[in-house]
Amino acid sequence: MRLTQYFAEAFAVLAGNKIRTLLTALGLIIGVMAVIAIQVLGAGMSGAITGILGAFSDRTFFVLPNQQQADFTRAAIRLSDLQRAKYEVPNVVEAIPASAQNLRGSYGHTSRRVSVGAGTDERFAASTPIRYGRKLDPDDITLARHVCVITQKAAVKLRITGDPTGGSLRVGEHRYRIVGVLGASTEGILPGPAAYDVAIPYTTYEREFARARAIVFARVLMDDPSKVTETEIAMQNWLKKVKGGRVEYQTFDRKSFSKAIDGIFGAVTFVVALIGAVSLLVAGIGILNIMLVSVAERTREIGLRKAIGATRFQVLLQFFIEALALSAFGCLVGMLLGVAIGAFVNGQFIVKLSGITAPIPWARSIVIATGFATVVTLAFGTYPAWRAATLDPIEALRYE
Amino acid sequence: MNDSQRAIDVRDVTKTYSLGDVKVEALRGVTFTIARGEYVAIMGPSGSGKSTLMNLLGCLDRPTTGQYFLDGSDVSTLGDDQLAAIRLKKLGFVFQGFNLLPRTSALKNVALPLFYAGIRAKTRNATAADQLREVGLGDRMDHKPSELSGGQQQRVAIARALVNDPAVVLADEPTGNLDSQTSEEIMALFHHLNDGGRTIIMVTHDEDVAGHARRIIRLRDGRIVDDQVTGKG
Repeated sequence: MRLTQYFAEAFAVLAGNKIRTLLTALGLIIGVMAVIAIQVLGAGMSGAITGILGAFSDRTFFVLPNQQQADFTRAAIRLSDLQRAKYEVPNVVEAIPASAQNLRGSYGHTSRRVSVGAGTDERFAASTPIRYGRKLDPDDITLARHVCVITQKAAVKLRITGDPTGGSLRVGEHRYRIVGVLGASTEGILPGPAAYDVAIPYTTYEREFARARAIVFARVLMDDPSKVTETEIAMQNWLKKVKGGRVEYQTFDRKSFSKAIDGIFGAVTFVVALIGAVSLLVAGIGILNIMLVSVAERTREIGLRKAIGATRFQVLLQFFIEALALSAFGCLVGMLLGVAIGAFVNGQFIVKLSGITAPIPWARSIVIATGFATVVTLAFGTYPAWRAATLDPIEALRYE
Repeated sequence: MNDSQRAIDVRDVTKTYSLGDVKVEALRGVTFTIARGEYVAIMGPSGSGKSTLMNLLGCLDRPTTGQYFLDGSDVSTLGDDQLAAIRLKKLGFVFQGFNLLPRTSALKNVALPLFYAGIRAKTRNATAADQLREVGLGDRMDHKPSELSGGQQQRVAIARALVNDPAVVLADEPTGNLDSQTSEEIMALFHHLNDGGRTIIMVTHDEDVAGHARRIIRLRDGRIVDDQVTGKG
C-alpha cells in the first residue's frame, strides 16, 4: 500500500467534485496569494525606499524644532538664523529652509495646482539629471532671482512640450523665468529640490512666500559627512543658544530616515501578513467544514471500506491525504498567483516608479505562506479524518 | 466433521446491547457449525437477531459471551484492527444496496480489497479483471456503477467479495433490491460459485430466495429454532 496510491485516489475524489474543490480551495488560494504578494511588495517597497534614500546625499541632514515642547513658537527657526549657521557651526557649509506650498501655477493657457518649494544649488541634491537648461546656481540664490527649475512631472502637468527654458511660469501672484527642467528623479518622497514641482531660490521663496514666518524644516549641508552625528548635535546646541535655551530641536539624516522607514514597512508587512494568516485560518475552517461534509456524505462508503478490511489507520490516511491534496492544490495555485501578482506589481509599479530593483525574498515568502497553510490544513484536516476512521462499520453501512 | 473442515464454528454466542438503561438480548445463546463448501441461508422475522448474527459472522462486531471460530481461529476477542485484517483476508461481503463506490469503474471497485491488502496496482487490476470475467462482466470493466443495471452492479459486488479469495462469502439480502428475473440470475451465480467450492452464507427473509440454499437456519427471538437441509444439491 503506497502513499502515491492514496494521493491518486484523493485527487480522483477532488477532481470528481470540481466546483466544491475549487470553492474550498479558494480561501486557501487567496490566503497564500495574499501572504506571498504582501511580503514581496513589502520587500520591494522597503528596498525601493532605502534605495531612494541612497540617492539622497549623505552630506545633508534636516533640523526642526522638537514637536513635544512647551513653547513651540519660541523654538521657530528663521532665515536669518540659518544664514548665520554656516559661519558659527563647524562643518556646516550651508543651511537653508526646506519648505513648500501648493499654489496655482500657469503656463500659457494651462493652469494647474503645483507645489512650489525653496530650492538651492546642486550641492544639496545628490545627482538629479537635468533635461533642459540648468539647475539653480549660487547667483540665483544670492540675488534672489525670479527663476525656477521645474520637474518633468510638472512639465507634463502644465502641458509643456519641448524646451521651455526662458519661458515664463506664473505661480500664485508671481512670475518666474524657467531656467531648467529636471529629468526623471530618484529623490522621490524626500523634501528636496527634485521633489517640488517648481523649485525657486530659497531666498526668493523666503521673501515671497514665507516672509517673516517661522521655518519648520531646515536642511543643512555639511563639509564632512563622516561627522554627521557631531554636526547634528552642534547644530542643535547652537540653535538652543541662539534661542536662549529652554528649547529643543531634533535632527534627521539618511540613516534615521531609512531606520524609520524600515520600521514602518516592517510593521505594515507584519500586520498585513497577520491578516493573511487570519484568512488562512478561515480557509482552514472551510477545509474542516467541507471534510466533515465529505465524511458525512460518504459514511456508507467508509462503512464499506471498513467492512472489506480497511483498518482505522488506512481510513484516517485516506481522508487526511484528501485534505492534504486539497491544501496542496490551494497552495500551488495561491503560490503561482501570489508570485505572479508580486512580480507584476513590483516590476510594473515599484521598480518602474522608483528605478530601484530591490532583492525580493521569494523563497522565504513562499515557504512562510505555504508552510503556514500546511500547518493549518494538518490541524483542521485531522479531526474529520479521525471521525471517519472511528466510525462503526455496522452503523456506517446502515447510514442513509 | 473435524475442526479443519469447519469454516464457521459458533459456540454458545450471546449478544446484548445496552440502549440506555434497557438491555436488549439480540442473541441468547447460539451454537452451530458450517462446513467448508456449504450454502446456508439464515432466516427469521425482523428482531429475530439475524442481522446481529450476520454482523458477528462478518467480524464487524464481537459477541458478548461465547466463542466464534472462523476458518479454525478464534476471532471472538480480537481488536478492531485485527478484525479488519480478518475481514480483509477471510471474508467477502455482498450487500443489499451493492455499496459500490460511485464514479469509480467496475474494475477499480473490484480491486479495492486488494488495495488495502497492499497489492501492486498491476497485479490488482489483473486479478480484478479475472474476477469480473468470472461473474460474466468481462466487457463492462470500465463502466461506472451508474452505467450498469442493478443485476450487473450486484455482480460487480460479488466479484469484489471474491477477489481476495475469502473462506466465507456473506450475503445480506443480496436480491432485496432486484426484480425477480434478475434475482434468479444472481441466485444462479451463487449456485455456480457454491458448486465451485465457495462457502456461502446468506441472510434473507424471502422463502423463495432461501430455497436456493442447501441448508436453512431459522432464528426467532435470538435463538435457533430450526436447522434443516433442503432438498437442493
